Amino acid sequence: MPLPMIEPVELEDFFLNLLSAAMIVLAGAGYAGLYAWGKLTRRPGFVISAYASYACLAGAVWVLAETSHFEDFWRVVAGLMLIGYFAAPLAIWRLCTATHAAEHSEHDRPNITP
Amino acid sequence: MSVGVLDSRNLNGGQKLAVKYFIVAMVLFVAQILFGLLAAVQFLAPGFLFETLDFSVNRMLHINAMIVWMLYGFIGAVYWFLEEESGVEIVGLKCGEIAFWVLTAAVGIVVLVYLFLQTGAGNDATRWLINEGREYIEAPRWADIGIVAVMLVFFYNAAGTFSKGRWSGVSGVLTLDLVALVGLYLTGMFYTTNVTVDHYWWWWVVHLWVEATWEVLVGCIMAWSLMKLLGARRRIVQTWLYIEVALMFGSGILGLGHHYFWIGTPEYWFPIGGFFSALEPIPLVAMVVHSIYDAGVHKFRSTNHPALGWVIAHTFGNFFGAGVWGFMHTLPQINLYTHGTQWTASHGHLSFFGAYATINIAFFYLAVQQWRGNVWMGANLADNGWKWKWSMALLNLGVIGMTVALLIAGYEQSFIERAIEGSTWSGYFAAQTHPWFTQAMFWRLIFGIVTAVGLVLLIWDLATIGARETRPALVIERPEEPGIKAAVVETA
Repeated sequence: MPLPMIEPVELEDFFLNLLSAAMIVLAGAGYAGLYAWGKLTRRPGFVISAYASYACLAGAVWVLAETSHFEDFWRVVAGLMLIGYFAAPLAIWRLCTATHAAEHSEHDRPNITP
Repeated sequence: MSVGVLDSRNLNGGQKLAVKYFIVAMVLFVAQILFGLLAAVQFLAPGFLFETLDFSVNRMLHINAMIVWMLYGFIGAVYWFLEEESGVEIVGLKCGEIAFWVLTAAVGIVVLVYLFLQTGAGNDATRWLINEGREYIEAPRWADIGIVAVMLVFFYNAAGTFSKGRWSGVSGVLTLDLVALVGLYLTGMFYTTNVTVDHYWWWWVVHLWVEATWEVLVGCIMAWSLMKLLGARRRIVQTWLYIEVALMFGSGILGLGHHYFWIGTPEYWFPIGGFFSALEPIPLVAMVVHSIYDAGVHKFRSTNHPALGWVIAHTFGNFFGAGVWGFMHTLPQINLYTHGTQWTASHGHLSFFGAYATINIAFFYLAVQQWRGNVWMGANLADNGWKWKWSMALLNLGVIGMTVALLIAGYEQSFIERAIEGSTWSGYFAAQTHPWFTQAMFWRLIFGIVTAVGLVLLIWDLATIGARETRPALVIERPEEPGIKAAVVETA
């Protein structure tokens, strides 16, 4: 496979490119945070908002891919990024519940003394 | 135990040594801000202190003071919890004391050499005695060797103490991380006449210290402080420490590739650097989920509100500074324009402050609390705790303001110096003298002054908080680790 070349961002897309990169991380955190809060409080509104945040993330990835002239390998990177950001909060939520599960037993509670 | 009075009898051997590290860390923090302010003035008035205290010297002292005070803070934090975590007295405390004084004397000498000698003939004598000329790690070779020796003593003390006492997940990760910390610094001591080869190894120190070993070190310090501050369960913080280490190493090590884009290394670094840089924010996103889970499920309480406040500031600062500001310019398609501009400085200011300065400050508050006899530092502090709240607000506002100002300056540089003028010398000067750039630098100075005011308030608060307090903090003993006073909690 030939080495993937890069084509720099067009000057007029400069701001859009930076904004979309920032939005990827912010929307990624928004998706993760809203999903966790929605599951915690059992309020489906937050989970729906989480998926809306993920849609923003996907949009930002698309803008980033377009303005960065992603081809071949770079499109694969963008696809993996989308899959990774979708799966990570779900996996982390499962880890949270698993690691905290033992905590809910009575004998494991801390003993508070003056 | 005398509550409310600064008394070293309240501290164990490691904690007494840690306090010394913390004090020097604060002195260097002041130096960092002072030289940063001088450099900020010189951006606006290039003739200011010209040939007396040049910009290059101020900038170097600003950056190196930051690196060294953070290292002092980390070492101090580890010494602080070493005895409590291992259950035994520190092995080789005397060596640790000697290493502290040797390191402090060396730092003092290096600063004096930077201030008064500054330059040399550019031969081996200069490299060994004055300055190696490597950005961010300018220490002369003798000081390099000294740093490695001090870190080896530190490693011996940590590993030896845990070996004599008890091991835990935190201590295991910490000990292995210290091996990497010492080993990686050695990679920066290669000297070659080929600038590409030189930079290749140099980035191993600069990137992997910061984005791998320091992050893991902070993970250990954070894990321990969460147990102490909030009574978090050991098994939980350890599990998350392992996850964080795996994610951090998974993305951080090959994320090193984003530094190899433009230094003459092969083109395959473009996809490697781009891909793994895209993964680097994932550990930070993981922390978002975990912190929401913990906050929601446990409704944690803490008596050390200032420390908890700074831990929260750490979470946000790390996420925005390292995650958002980092990812914005690590793909090669955009990094072509932004590399080495004030973008880098913008990212650096928020990420170093957010990821490292904040957690050190949190630890200073933990230390002061214990030093004053485990004094009450929860709600209802004297004067309503206005000093710590204002210092925290001003320091964060100042750093965020500088970050945005530098972002604007970097944006202008990317356009004029890189995109329009094609990275020529004339392009560089056209950008540096452009009104957009100078106006942004003016605001950077203003917010630098705000930061300095916040720092003065922080020092005042650390020196006085809990001074007239008579209430002691309460203690939790946890069934999972009987006999270990794990945390203090607020009951009133």
